[in-house]
Amino acid sequence: MKLALKLLAAVLVALVLGAGSALLVVRSGGLGSQVSSGPWETDLTIGSAEADPYTRAQVAVAGLLALNRNETIYFTAARDGDGNRLRVDCRYKIEGTDPPARWWSITLYGDDHFLVSNPQGRYSYGGESVARNEDGSFTIVVGPDETDGNWIPTGQGHAGDTFTLTLRLYNPDESAARNPSGIALPRIAKEACAS
Amino acid sequence: MKTWPLWIAGTIALAAVFHILTVFALPYGIMNRAMAGIAAQSGGVNKPVYPDRATAASRSIVRPSPDLLYTACVYDVSDRPVRLTSPVPDTYWSLSAFAANTDNFFVVNDRQVHNKRIEIILTAREDLVVEGGQPVIIAPSTRGIVLFRSLVPTEEAATEVDALRRQANCEPL
Repeated sequence: MKLALKLLAAVLVALVLGAGSALLVVRSGGLGSQVSSGPWETDLTIGSAEADPYTRAQVAVAGLLALNRNETIYFTAARDGDGNRLRVDCRYKIEGTDPPARWWSITLYGDDHFLVSNPQGRYSYGGESVARNEDGSFTIVVGPDETDGNWIPTGQGHAGDTFTLTLRLYNPDESAARNPSGIALPRIAKEACAS
Repeated sequence: MKTWPLWIAGTIALAAVFHILTVFALPYGIMNRAMAGIAAQSGGVNKPVYPDRATAASRSIVRPSPDLLYTACVYDVSDRPVRLTSPVPDTYWSLSAFAANTDNFFVVNDRQVHNKRIEIILTAREDLVVEGGQPVIIAPSTRGIVLFRSLVPTEEAATEVDALRRQANCEPL
């Protein structure tokens, strides 16, 4: 009886340790960081049969039904250009030019990987919808307070809550699909925080 | 003789096994849940569902794109092949298929389709011959998800793109 109880306890501890550590690793991995360009990160095996078990699990958690990189490259940014986590109570400026793809978009997601509620119902800008500067480049402000021009609201979250941005490149140019780390991607600069 | 070192070693070894099992099982579990959600909305397998554009209230599939209109169906080729058909709009469009382990085993986009219409057969049988000569795709798992993506380039184009994507279909052959 005593041995059975000890065995049961050992199995339970192993289950909590094993499954818990797996969930921790998978959930903290985002969509992979095999390749990076500034604060933007991606994994070349997203959606592919070549993906290792950890990448496949990460994609299932944070990007289910993602396409392979020849069709779409998904870059994710959880930090600004200085390496600090993106926070809902801060204002950021995203500046860049069209990435080498047929179509692109930048979308804001909460920590739960879903779109963030806001009264404007605005979640993203794409190559067709973004207002451009005179030289063809674009500037998007991300923050809690409305601004003129392109603005993605961070919603009404609590101070310190974090968010992520996903940059989708649909039908990327061949050179971009081959070497995603060589793409010049938009810069993310923090301007101010409420607290 | 002290046995606690053996107990600790055994527990750690078992924890490693549970860790690996969890990593391998997660994609299947999450896909199963997604398939159940889609099938519940469409009324079963091999039937399409046409959800509205994603908003903050959309909570079924993570990280949806609000710039796309999705059409989804759960395929089940365990008994019969499945026919996938759709008109192709004058905007970015793709048809993709995902196995039970989440792998994207097939994708085709609007630029790769001729005559503005696609018809393909999804099957588990490698020796399947189709009389109509449609392209045949071998599914690596008997169940999975088919997803049609249609880009909504402008708000003005939304109605037209929506009407077209509602003609996409999945049905047993």
